[in-house]
Amino acid sequence: MTPIIELRNVTKRFGSGRDQVTAVDSISLDIEPGEIVCLVGESGCGKSTTGRMVVGLLPPSEGQILYRGQDIASMEKSEYQQYRRAVQIIHQDPYASLNPTQTVRQMIMTPLLRHQTLGADRNGAGGGRRGRRRDAERRAAELLEIVDLTPVSDFLDKYPHQLSGGQRQRVSVARALTVEPKFIVADEAVSMVDVSIRVSLLNMLYRLKDEFDVTFLFITHDLALAKYFAWEGRITVMYLGRIVEEGPTPRLITDSRHPYTQALLGAVPEADPELAKKKVHIELLSAEIPSLLNLPTGCTFHPRCPYIVPGECDLVVPQLDLIPDGGSVACPVRMSEPGRIV
Amino acid sequence: MSQSTDLSWHQDVEENGSQPPLSLQDVHVSYRTRKGSVQAVRGVTLDLQAGESLALIGESGSGKTTLGLGIVRLLVETAQVSPGKIIYRRDGRELDVLSLAEGPLREFRWRDCAMVFQSALNAFNPVLKVWDQVWDTAKAHRWNNREEVRERFLDLLRFVQLDPDRVIDSYAHELSGGMRQRTLLAISLLLDPQILILDEPTTALDILTQRTIIDLLRRLKEDLHFTMLFISHDLAIAAELADRVATMYAGQVVELGPVGDIFYRPRHPYSLGLIRAVPTVTGGFEELSSIPGSPPDLINLPTGCKFHPRCPFASERCSAEEPGLERVGDNHYAACWHTDAVQEDIERNGLRGKRRA
Ligand SMILES: Nc1ncnc2c1ncn2[C@@H]1O[C@H](COP(=O)(O)OP(=O)(O)OP(=O)(O)O)[C@@H](O)[C@H]1O
Ligand SMILES: Nc1ncnc2c1ncn2[C@@H]1O[C@H](COP(=O)(O)OP(=O)(O)OP(=O)(O)O)[C@@H](O)[C@H]1O
Ligand code: SF4
Ligand code: SF4
Ligand SMILES: [Mg+2]
Ligand SMILES: [Mg+2]
Repeated sequence: MTPIIELRNVTKRFGSGRDQVTAVDSISLDIEPGEIVCLVGESGCGKSTTGRMVVGLLPPSEGQILYRGQDIASMEKSEYQQYRRAVQIIHQDPYASLNPTQTVRQMIMTPLLRHQTLGADRNGAGGGRRGRRRDAERRAAELLEIVDLTPVSDFLDKYPHQLSGGQRQRVSVARALTVEPKFIVADEAVSMVDVSIRVSLLNMLYRLKDEFDVTFLFITHDLALAKYFAWEGRITVMYLGRIVEEGPTPRLITDSRHPYTQALLGAVPEADPELAKKKVHIELLSAEIPSLLNLPTGCTFHPRCPYIVPGECDLVVPQLDLIPDGGSVACPVRMSEPGRIV
Repeated sequence: MSQSTDLSWHQDVEENGSQPPLSLQDVHVSYRTRKGSVQAVRGVTLDLQAGESLALIGESGSGKTTLGLGIVRLLVETAQVSPGKIIYRRDGRELDVLSLAEGPLREFRWRDCAMVFQSALNAFNPVLKVWDQVWDTAKAHRWNNREEVRERFLDLLRFVQLDPDRVIDSYAHELSGGMRQRTLLAISLLLDPQILILDEPTTALDILTQRTIIDLLRRLKEDLHFTMLFISHDLAIAAELADRVATMYAGQVVELGPVGDIFYRPRHPYSLGLIRAVPTVTGGFEELSSIPGSPPDLINLPTGCKFHPRCPFASERCSAEEPGLERVGDNHYAACWHTDAVQEDIERNGLRGKRRA
């Protein structure tokens, strides 16, 4: 199958001269239609930058991004518009991304009407302005139902400040759905929502995958959430702009190979006192994450890695190699060692 | 690293006998707003025992920070603490915290009960270097021996595993989030407080940084027997660090008990709901479930049990009568009319969701 999104050696640099940083360093990633891929890693490792390049909000400095096999940099205008509609992003902070002066109805109706007009132009047919409005109203109600904002009439005339964080995030999802996206980048989409209601948001997103064939790039710093949302998909771990490990979620969670992945998994605080006691924590050589302005040579994890092989790890940049158990690992030293944390 | 030896803040647990260092009695806090009175804390009664760490958990807006700020009397002017009583005890003396005058209050905040705030950056003065801030604090408490203060602070920085020379002459914004949090912890220990209140000590920090902070707090708890109150929306903090847990909902403690009881034998539907909503990273897949609905409006609270509009166990009684904390086991209390139904549900369906391989 042609991947719906494909990244080929994508690099993104910011700034210039001595202040230049490489936020994303030659990453490659194939995402098949209907798949869920999670991007995890610590703050500043390049997750959002990757997500923004995927939706076309940032051009890569090098490399290609392909949508259904086509390089987005060389698309015709109409193809590009189609891609931009098909690939949507949901941000972390629903407060910042919703217009405070618009009601839920306006926020959902505006893109619906615009989208419809485009459709009508394409088909050379229209249902008359009033008919179009009625259709849009009906569709808006449907969308609010899909995101569980029911009864719909309770929400249509509300402004963002009258909604809870979780409800606002549902509105942003409904708004993204107005253009019938095929691919959604969810960038920390539930991170700001209370734990008690997070799961229902995740389950709602998951339903979009089942019912509307939406493919997900799910960005989070929370590995437990990644595990829950992408259990049937894959997790990709980034460190300082590079992918260090990638694989089917069950394998990555229960048998990770890269020392950085193991350190992360071991460090996650667990909401279970017995488990918290049992877990093995990997002691790193340094607690500080290096600056992108002054990256270590070779494997960028080497100043912190307890398994470092001097003369090797600090010289050669490890490549991602496939492992028989699924996925790939950028660590020749540890890739074949089983890695359980309890 | 273990240079904790010459730091003299070991809490002498015996010395205080059975008297808890901190007692909250029916504490209420409300905020005056244009829309009405926000009832953020509604009748909290709690004892903090010497040497224990107690975690206060609950979702956003449940009143955790308000309660913490109330204890150290740092609430905004629009907040009103009444009715209620906060008693602090040390070396046989007893203080009525709510009636302390400005001077003794300042002493209380640093020497007796220090609070580390939710947002580590805001707690620093942006135009002062870390050392200047520490020195100002020491002077304000009439500790004028510069060398001594510096020595003490350098020791503390080493204790929190920071490079003292690097940190002491930095501005807060030059430090990473984890370094700031540790520096703040070191500053709060400067005057040897008896109690430490930590508001969201790991929130917004990266995982590996969270781990170093948790390990550090565990050393304070296990090696130095600090009396600590953790405030967090993150159940994992409670699981990792607490001896006892108090679940807060709509300004009240709705369940209180030993950490094992709260996590494995919860009796309040809200505690159970939280546990079933939070994934663990270790092990196979687990079904999770959300708590339906959203937190209550603290200006117009529901009748009866404040949780009833969201509670799967609610009966008619729940919307009419408000339950109080009742004993449900050894040192274990829950405020719910139907704790038996919660127990049966766990027996029938398991504590957490179904596991898949
Ligand atoms: N517009 C920009 N100009 C300069 N630097 C940038 C820009 N956007 C991002 N960066 C830098 O690129 C790096 C990667 O940032 P990015 O936002 O992708 O990280 P992230 O993994 O999403 O982190 P977080 O978990 O904090 O959201 C960071 O060092 C960041 O400071
Ligand atoms: N200065 C204030 N004026 C009015 N209301 C306030 C003020 N500060 C807090 N509140 C309200 O009091 C309630 C309790 O807030 P508090 O900050 O104590 O909750 P919390 O449990 O610490 O939540 P979080 O997890 O978000 O930190 C909330 O409804 C909040 O909106
Ligand atoms: S390549 Fe070397 S330094 Fe890098 S993770 Fe592997 S063992 Fe550690
Ligand atoms: S008293 Fe009733 S509504 Fe309140 S928590 Fe118990 S069962 Fe639920
Ligand atoms: Mg980001
Ligand atoms: Mg708070």
